Amino acid sequence: MAKPTVASDWLAGCAGCHMSFLDIDERIVKLIELVDLRATPITDLKEPDEEGVTVGILEGGINNTYNEFVAKQMRARSKILVALGDCAVFGGVPAMRNFFTLEDALKRAYVETPSTDESGKIPSDPELTKPTIVRAVHEVVKVDLFVPGCPPDADIIFYALSELAQGRMPKLENEKLMWN
Amino acid sequence: MVKITIDGKTIEVERGTTILNVARELGIEIPTLCDHPELTPYGGCRLCLVEIEGFRTLQPSCTLPASNDMVVHTNTEKVRDARKFILSMIFSERNHFCPYCQVSGGDCDLQNAAYAEGMTHWPIMPNWKPYPVDGSHPFIVLEHNRCILCRQCIRACNELVGNFTLSFEERGADSNLVADLGIPLGESSCVGCGTCIQVCPTGSLIDRWSAYQGKETEVEKTNTICHGCSIGCGINILTRDNRLVRIEGDWDAKINGGVLCDVGRFHPMVEQRERLLTPMVRTNGQLKPTSWDDAISAAAEKIKNSRGNLFGVASTRLSMEALNEFKSICDAYDAKSIASTEEFPAVSAPFKVAEAYGKAFESKMDEIKDADCYLLIGEDTTKDHQVVSFFAKRQIPFGAKLVQISEISTGLDNFSDESLLIEKDMQSKFIDALENLLRKKSDKVEEIAKLYKLNTLQIENVVHILSSAKKVVIIFGSRYDFNNSFEVLSSLVSLNEQLKGKLITTKGNINSTGASLIGISETVENVDSEIAILAIGDEKLSQNFSKKFKKGISSIIFSSYISPLTANSDIVFPVQNWLEENGSFINSDGHILKSKAALEAPEGVFSNEESLSKLAKVLNVDKHDRWKDYLKKTPAPVVINKYRSK
Repeated sequence: MAKPTVASDWLAGCAGCHMSFLDIDERIVKLIELVDLRATPITDLKEPDEEGVTVGILEGGINNTYNEFVAKQMRARSKILVALGDCAVFGGVPAMRNFFTLEDALKRAYVETPSTDESGKIPSDPELTKPTIVRAVHEVVKVDLFVPGCPPDADIIFYALSELAQGRMPKLENEKLMWN
Repeated sequence: MVKITIDGKTIEVERGTTILNVARELGIEIPTLCDHPELTPYGGCRLCLVEIEGFRTLQPSCTLPASNDMVVHTNTEKVRDARKFILSMIFSERNHFCPYCQVSGGDCDLQNAAYAEGMTHWPIMPNWKPYPVDGSHPFIVLEHNRCILCRQCIRACNELVGNFTLSFEERGADSNLVADLGIPLGESSCVGCGTCIQVCPTGSLIDRWSAYQGKETEVEKTNTICHGCSIGCGINILTRDNRLVRIEGDWDAKINGGVLCDVGRFHPMVEQRERLLTPMVRTNGQLKPTSWDDAISAAAEKIKNSRGNLFGVASTRLSMEALNEFKSICDAYDAKSIASTEEFPAVSAPFKVAEAYGKAFESKMDEIKDADCYLLIGEDTTKDHQVVSFFAKRQIPFGAKLVQISEISTGLDNFSDESLLIEKDMQSKFIDALENLLRKKSDKVEEIAKLYKLNTLQIENVVHILSSAKKVVIIFGSRYDFNNSFEVLSSLVSLNEQLKGKLITTKGNINSTGASLIGISETVENVDSEIAILAIGDEKLSQNFSKKFKKGISSIIFSSYISPLTANSDIVFPVQNWLEENGSFINSDGHILKSKAALEAPEGVFSNEESLSKLAKVLNVDKHDRWKDYLKKTPAPVVINKYRSK
């Protein structure tokens, strides 16, 4: 039987959850024995295989139309979709901007920063992705497993992935939830 | 008694016991966010819902009394689903994103409850409404975004502190915690006692110092007593790496039951005086650091040469053990006078009255907690001995009356039924007049009103309040000078007998009572001895106090901090502060309390007792009897005893 395939991608996050994934250290060798690691943002292949993967992992929340596209594509191409980290689970740090209007947030970023001169303006090219309110992944597509944490501990990521690789749904309970 | 079954366990309980408390008795855990053992049940968070056979809907266990043959289930799927739903609603209502909260990781009841239910996320999109953060208070930060509207702070402010500052405005999701009528907390009637912080289940009410300094699991806890005033409230001192993190009231302490005032909770956090770290001796006009041995022998030399011409001053913040050492040295060298650092002779009147009576005439502080009438006189208990005013104020909703006799307006004016402004030297006579009215020996209300510049209605009202009360407690403050305190207190004792009430005097510092028992009770008048020996510990003394020492007096001082007084001394010894020492203290209601060290002292800095005993050893002073022997020698105004162990 073919090994289960895994793909991942990052959205509105900080890449920290992928870094925490790398913190599983030499256990990655064990993991590779169990699964076929396909597309990830930190390897050459960037998009999940068209024929689909067993497990799709998303880090980060959804804060623009491109993120929506990536999330929907990952959902369509994976059997099990994992929301990895607090941004994917409930919006995380980027979601703090939801407490302001989108206009105020953009103005702050592109016009009002101390390093911006008077030519600063909010980019509006039609080819650019459109910013939206920041949402958790499950607000856009169905999520099968939530792995909270900022970032989730490497041990928890390894536990979750090795369970999935062996065809079991990980149970995140008690101390496995307490990422502090 | 009623019989009730919870999760298959049957028990008989008192009628009126809530299901939550029955469950606790049975060791069954029901999660709650708004329940607190010291506060009236409120039923606000709904997390404690349980399934009861025969009931159509789930019921809040914190407010529902057990009734006979009730069968309760606390862990059915229906209950668990309801809990998850309720937690999801609470999480999505405001900004409850754990990663950026200071109580996250064990100190947050909301987060812990979600962990206990195994929640990995909440399915409802948060309501992205920003709420203000109120940072106007010097001690307390009010973060509305973290508030779950559980009302614990409001109930604590009303029921425990009796300050009635906090309340809600608006309704439903718009409900908002407000101070007074919606003004910034720092400008409100808040007294800064911090009880609200202590009960807050989330990070909505935090103090400026302990935020992000360490979680409950990362700090060490020392259970000891507060040294802020004579009450000696039970506290827990939280420390981390020999650093003070936070001070909390001890819920189990008999004297204060968890409440503290700003003096106990926050003032030690803002201590900024510079520590003394090494002994110093004045040579060629300058204070020069030296070794303990050299400084001790220099001090011993001075004391030996001035036998009979020694003036001793000790702080009433020192322990019984330290005061005993101090007294032994002074007595061995025939000190002219041994005085305390207190500027108001707070305990002299109670002790003089006790001497006249030959027995204790005061009641224990507990009596304040269930009285229905208070006569406060002689100090503003919203500033000094504040916890006493909490005990009285919180009885107001139950109909208690407050009568105040004071020279100036005080923080209690708004709480008092009658506030009588009478000059101090007329207070004794007024109390006598009041007693005569109560005894119906006189009915000259108009004459009295005229004499004391009061309204006749005021006096009639006070007589009515005092005569119709079931239990009167008279609280005699410490802000008197020598001339009138004895007279006022004597008049009060007589009035108290007439009213069959309870009399309590607040006294001064944590060990004022103990110092008086040991014989250190005089106040410092002009010091004209050759040499003064001062054991001031960590006390902060006024400039007025320093002025009492005439120029040219050679002084030896034991002090924790650098001050003008230490700068003018000839020999200076560093000593530990209250957080670093162990010791015994006798509080204002005569309880012998043990204080435990919470921090380690800087190297080479010893306790007051040890430092003084080093000197005593070189002077060949035999220590007096054990300090406990003094307790039998002097008649105390209140029975001296120990708290029975918990």
